[in-house]
Amino acid sequence: MTNRDSKMNRVRIQAALFAAFMLAATGPLAAEVVALVGGTVHPVTGPAIEDGVVVMENGRILQVGSDVEIPEDAREVDVDGLHLYPGFIHPATSLGLTEISSVAGTVDLAEIGNINAAVRAEVAVNHDSELFPATIAGGVLSAHMVPGGGLIRGTSAVMNLDGWSWEEMVISTPVAMHLDFPRDSVDNEDSDELAAIEKVLDQARHWHKARRAADENDSRPPVRNDQLEALGPMLDGEVPLMIHANRSDVMEAALDWAEEQELERIILVANADAQYLAERLAAEDIPVILRNVYAMPTRRWEPHDMAFRAPARLHEAGVRFAIADSGGGLDVANSRNLPFHAGSAMAHGLPAEAALKSVTRWPAEILGVDGELGALEPGLRASLFAATGDPLEPMSRIERVWIDGQEYDLSRKRGRELYHRYRERNRSVRQGD
Amino acid sequence: MMRFVKTATGTLAGLALVSGLALADSNDQWTPDIEAWNSPPPPAPAAVLVRDATVWTGTEDGIRESTDLLVRNGRIDRIGSGLSAPGGEVLEIDGSGLHITPGIIDGHSHAAMLGGVNEMTRISTADVRVRDVIDSESVHIYRQLAGGVTTVNLLHGSANAIGGQNAIIKFRWGEPPEALLFEGAPEGIKFALGENPKQSNWDVDEPRYPQTRHGVEQIIREKFQQAEEYRRALDEMPSGRAGRDRVAPRPDHELAAIAEILRGERDVHAHAYRADEMLALMRLAEQFDFTIKTFQHVLEGYKIAPQMAEHGAGGSTFIDWWGFKYEAIDGIGYNPALMHEAGVLTALHSDNPELARRMNLEAAKAVRYGGVDEHDALKMITAWAADQLGIGDRVGRLKEGLDADFVIWNGHPLSVQSKVEQTWVDGRRYFDRAADERMNENLEAERADLIARALDDNGDGAENGNDNNNEDTDESPGLATHLLGYSRSELDHDHFCILHEH
Repeated sequence: MTNRDSKMNRVRIQAALFAAFMLAATGPLAAEVVALVGGTVHPVTGPAIEDGVVVMENGRILQVGSDVEIPEDAREVDVDGLHLYPGFIHPATSLGLTEISSVAGTVDLAEIGNINAAVRAEVAVNHDSELFPATIAGGVLSAHMVPGGGLIRGTSAVMNLDGWSWEEMVISTPVAMHLDFPRDSVDNEDSDELAAIEKVLDQARHWHKARRAADENDSRPPVRNDQLEALGPMLDGEVPLMIHANRSDVMEAALDWAEEQELERIILVANADAQYLAERLAAEDIPVILRNVYAMPTRRWEPHDMAFRAPARLHEAGVRFAIADSGGGLDVANSRNLPFHAGSAMAHGLPAEAALKSVTRWPAEILGVDGELGALEPGLRASLFAATGDPLEPMSRIERVWIDGQEYDLSRKRGRELYHRYRERNRSVRQGD
Repeated sequence: MMRFVKTATGTLAGLALVSGLALADSNDQWTPDIEAWNSPPPPAPAAVLVRDATVWTGTEDGIRESTDLLVRNGRIDRIGSGLSAPGGEVLEIDGSGLHITPGIIDGHSHAAMLGGVNEMTRISTADVRVRDVIDSESVHIYRQLAGGVTTVNLLHGSANAIGGQNAIIKFRWGEPPEALLFEGAPEGIKFALGENPKQSNWDVDEPRYPQTRHGVEQIIREKFQQAEEYRRALDEMPSGRAGRDRVAPRPDHELAAIAEILRGERDVHAHAYRADEMLALMRLAEQFDFTIKTFQHVLEGYKIAPQMAEHGAGGSTFIDWWGFKYEAIDGIGYNPALMHEAGVLTALHSDNPELARRMNLEAAKAVRYGGVDEHDALKMITAWAADQLGIGDRVGRLKEGLDADFVIWNGHPLSVQSKVEQTWVDGRRYFDRAADERMNENLEAERADLIARALDDNGDGAENGNDNNNEDTDESPGLATHLLGYSRSELDHDHFCILHEH
């Protein structure tokens, strides 16, 4: 981590110097101290602060509060009554790995083959994806990018949605190893797919044992094997295993299996059926990334609002969870709608504070980046936005955004540019009548 | 199979003179069922009086606070303050703190169609009728009632330039297909432009003409010409003795339907994304002297909004779906705001049975993007959606004389925090949160009973009914495999829209 961090910082400093050199400084420099004043600050981890202040320096939050002494050299930015919130975090998406789903050349969603443990999502992220500006404009400022395809799907990364390269955008990697739990193993003891997974895990255990032995004895290490090597951190519990499952019986089977395999750190990525395992998930402290509040009930005969109510049920049972959308298909271009999933969960019983945390603080905790993101607290990254009201409410507008302390130019969103151009055009046509 | 049979008889008496604080009358034990065939029609009270609610009229009367709504015999009788209850049985509802809107109208739906959405064979299938395949058993009807939807436009798919004839239906859950049809609604037909009719996004064994946008424009023109010729031949056919030596034109249901378009007797609802092809279709229509009623999806409508307004075409759009195919990359959330500002009759649609359950939030986004007035945003899913379908004189507004199709919300109807409490169609309460809870309890009891019996018989039971599977098969690619118990029709959609994921 340390090496990567220092390298990351180097890259960022270079980028900042480059920007300073190239531009007539339209935005703040990284070293500048900026104080956002005149708004209501919603730290998420504490109560809202009316007429609060957020001081930012070097991309981090320096101070938050109402009674803050603003440094003398700070540039004050009046947010004019808007509400400041930490950026939403998408807890599991293929954003960045796909652009136009019907155009194959723009889609890097699913690798071929069953075992893809050594695949790393972040290296395929197109930092200039047109989907990022639209997502940022919705207040979703970072995302956990998850590779797809096969049974063991490789590792994921938490990334900023703005930057000059994927490398610079990485906040944390590897965040998790991903497993698509085979559905057929529920009623098939001889599931070929599960057998294939177990075989690879066993091989990886042997391989790492052999390597450790070789290290200790200074003898020849086993032949390199990218897939088996990649599984080491997960098997050692350094990196969690995210198990993807979409039906309660599959989820139960997956948890039983993980126990048998003595896997230490499990995170369940699951649809609304997770609510049926709530007690177990709470008792075993297994966090859940909940796929899609906006979903049809799993079973035709279930209550129409079964999926809407899933977050409240998980919360009541004491399960740690974060709210996601489906993470694929049409939802990718509409990742900006993530907060509304949490908003609708609120309408169906999730307390307001929990709803906000389910797309900020809790994904940060579950993804292991709560030292970076998810709240407005000193020391965290200064990634936040200013909204006209409750940002879980679709009628609210997001007016300004800062990522790592830099104000983001929302006009970079092509949609806004089109809006302004055609509004002018249509008005002039009208006047010509 | 054991089932809970509900009877509608006896419930009417229970409605008399209820004026409690609770929304659900404790005497009203009407309970729907998840199966339409087993769901009794809700009682039809002679009069319903909702008192002291915030009423979103959808008319120039705007949003009226502390207002009463009186329904008599399935129609809106009066809207005003301090209305007195008429004589006879009156169901009174305390609406304080509640909001009432017109029933939501979804101008683009495939949610209740049997056996496929697309007749994808020919480039024109104008002879195909959606009204022949209405699935009155589709669970989406009940679920969308729970989201406040009361009327939908069931459209043929988008595989062909000229698709099938649409069917506008009311969500009368429990009634047979023919009773769902919206009586007297204008006839219509689906058109489709762009990637879908030109077969851009799927493998075809034998490519079909056309494969280009200009080809699509050409084939539609050719069909119009043929239909004109066909109709002329029919018209020129002498009647009586004069015609006895002439051979009448062979009946052609396809050209007959297209000829109705040219005479203004059948509304065109044209699926399209890009400005170029929409402009071309409008110009083509003008050559044949008729008006395109609506463009559906119309993602680039904002680029030709003045031309649409001048032609008179409505725009029925997604608020924010974009980017899933090349022709959708310039879709912007501001589209409804811009079309509306330019004078285009603008509405929002779902095209998706899950999304249809929260159209109020789609309308809320019209406020978010471009600052559409809240009441106007609501009209995009009610009044203006009705006008686009030519049924605005019956539904879509809360106005004296119109059908009593309305929704009672527990808060601001565009707020993410609000929920539907009741949905009324024709003065009958088809969705009621309390009745829904009763139904769920019944279903839960029935399930527990069945599992207990199964356990007695076999010593084993299906925990969540997971054995009933809709596994992905070659015949149903893309169907969500974790969904259980659904009929194939319920999971069907317009495959060529590439944006459906259940």
